[in-house]
Amino acid sequence: MTRRAALFALALAALTAPAVTVRAEPPKTPAALPTRNAVVALEGKQAVLSVPFRDVVDGEIEKKLSSGLPTVIVLRAWVFRDGGTEPVALTAKTCRVVYDLWDEVFRLQITQPGGLVDTVAVNIEGVLRQCAEARKLRLIERSQLDDNGRYFVAGLVEVNPISQETQDRIKRWVTRPNGSAAIGPGDSLFGSFVGLFVARIGDADRKLAFRTQVFAPPNPPPPEKKP
Amino acid sequence: MIGARSLVWPAALAVVAIPALASAADPPSPSTTASPPEAPQRARLRYTLEGIELRGNVRTAGRVVLRYVKFRAGDLLDVDDPELELTRYRLLGTGFFAQVDLSLRKGSRRGAAVLIIEVVERNTLVVQNLWAGVAADEDTAGNARPLSAFLGVQAAETNLAGTGITLGAGVALAADQFALRTSFVDPSFVGTGWSAAITVLYNDARDFFGNRDVLFEAPLIAQREVTDYAVVAYRRFGATIGTGHDLGVSSSFALDYHLEQIDATVPVAASHMRGLSREPVDFSIRPGRSVLSTVRGTLTYDTRDAPFLTARGTHAQASVTVGIPGTDYSFQKFEGTLRRWWRLPWRHVVRFDAYVGAIAGDAPFFEQFYVGDFTDLLPDRLLALAPDRRQPPNLLGTDIIEVRYGDFAAKIEGEYRIPLYTGRESVYGVDLFASAGIYSVATRREFTNPPTGYRGWSRLPVDVTGNLGLRLDTKLGGVTIAFSNVLGLVAARNGARK
Repeated sequence: MTRRAALFALALAALTAPAVTVRAEPPKTPAALPTRNAVVALEGKQAVLSVPFRDVVDGEIEKKLSSGLPTVIVLRAWVFRDGGTEPVALTAKTCRVVYDLWDEVFRLQITQPGGLVDTVAVNIEGVLRQCAEARKLRLIERSQLDDNGRYFVAGLVEVNPISQETQDRIKRWVTRPNGSAAIGPGDSLFGSFVGLFVARIGDADRKLAFRTQVFAPPNPPPPEKKP
Repeated sequence: MIGARSLVWPAALAVVAIPALASAADPPSPSTTASPPEAPQRARLRYTLEGIELRGNVRTAGRVVLRYVKFRAGDLLDVDDPELELTRYRLLGTGFFAQVDLSLRKGSRRGAAVLIIEVVERNTLVVQNLWAGVAADEDTAGNARPLSAFLGVQAAETNLAGTGITLGAGVALAADQFALRTSFVDPSFVGTGWSAAITVLYNDARDFFGNRDVLFEAPLIAQREVTDYAVVAYRRFGATIGTGHDLGVSSSFALDYHLEQIDATVPVAASHMRGLSREPVDFSIRPGRSVLSTVRGTLTYDTRDAPFLTARGTHAQASVTVGIPGTDYSFQKFEGTLRRWWRLPWRHVVRFDAYVGAIAGDAPFFEQFYVGDFTDLLPDRLLALAPDRRQPPNLLGTDIIEVRYGDFAAKIEGEYRIPLYTGRESVYGVDLFASAGIYSVATRREFTNPPTGYRGWSRLPVDVTGNLGLRLDTKLGGVTIAFSNVLGLVAARNGARK
């Protein structure tokens, strides 16, 4: 694919995506993130990633998962060259979880490269297994990795990420509850305290960032020798 | 930069990474209320809402909580309805709660559900404004006089006895003057979408008139002995009743009626040098008792992302104040404000401000445009008290020095902010800011009979202003630590002004 075609594809995706756009900025210092072990293997022509991130689900998130209202867990993973700060590839997995009160199952909608899958889990353990782990998640075509290069993956997991637009809307609700919160000039000598207790709205209910160990591009197993 | 070869990945994943969208675009799925879903792979669920259960609201009345909840028993509740999330934030937006969580539990029959709203109440006694500073004084030749302190505070209980009603009070103290305020606000008057507010004011204050070589005959002995200015001592006592209504998420409308009695002690005769000519001083207030009666309408458009360290959005306001004809002060006051913020790609913030105001008729001086509200080098008024007696710095050497209160005012200002710190605990953010602007305050006489001795551009009553300091967004509210007033005090120490 030419650069122009790639840019066109990117622009088209941005244009066709609805207004709610989740930010996908890579971490600024990926190498400094806490390390966790991951498995990078070859699946066909793709390098794939397997890594657990179950710790993103704490007691509070577990309560949300069982609330009967939707909870979304998003993993974004960037591939970096060892020592580099610019990503060479990005992949993602999202999992939307809703507990069905009457069928008493968790309904899951998992989206990742390769397609969208609707499935169910009968308990939290099932949810964690399917939504809080990456299993052979497609990273990048093997051919795009330098045979002599060393790479690592930086991952960002968010629970219920909020788009910038929604954040702005929510902040307006919170900070201007009755359409009356005025801002004073605040120019007195030693300062001016303005406004009520203003809660800060986070861009997700919970976040988790990590990096993997450095790995060499996976190679196919050597052909078996004929006796 | 992501290499061109792999750009296709993020392009394809731009959609993947938007979880809510995939489901939001789906057609409504079959309900699970009557029978098991026909398409069990679909995660979209709907229930018949059997009721709403409130938990954790010890002080806040249930009806106050339910005022912000649009759902009612019998509704078909779609778990993907964005109104559910908005309800949560709308309740947080009341300021009554530190935490709000929504969940569902089974109803009494298949397909029914109960919406549970669990809240954690918070302290609702808040400090709205705090002013503390030093007002400089100078004689009419620009020589320094002793400094005097001023102090003001406004506080409010925003959830009075759990009713959602705000009861506030304020006090301001400056040399020989003070002001009191009490306010009562019901954000949803008798359960409607209209707010109701009453504010009672009392000011026992004085103001200072005359530019240079002031001669006056004051009725109060004390004023003759201690001041170089013609002093107007006045008392104000009155009230404002008002209502407001949100026209949409970003716009609102407010209407106020104000009635007050003024008791002013005005010099029986006074003159000063205006330019090179001696002229009588215009006090813009009736001696003795008078009545001010006004109606004010305000339209506000507000898309700011945050009220204090705003990074993007617009805040625009237009208002008209009309002094009721037939009362002692018949006037019309028009004001327009536009503020716009942009976040630059490197995370710094730029703000643009424009303000314009005009008064037709005879407004009392405290309704007119005060020069200290436009220059950063003098303190603003606090609860309508003007503690600083100085004239504006006059950095451009124009006839702005001849103006304290005006009938016309305009200001354009720009600000550049650099975020220094972002946090989530007690301090949410610290920004370094620098601003610069140009403003003008003029009376009608600046157009019809400008002060003598000024030529060319100096006849335009304009000046520049600027500020530099830190803005802190904290758990207690926004704090501005500005250095402009310190600079203003330094200017006052310089003796003879321009």
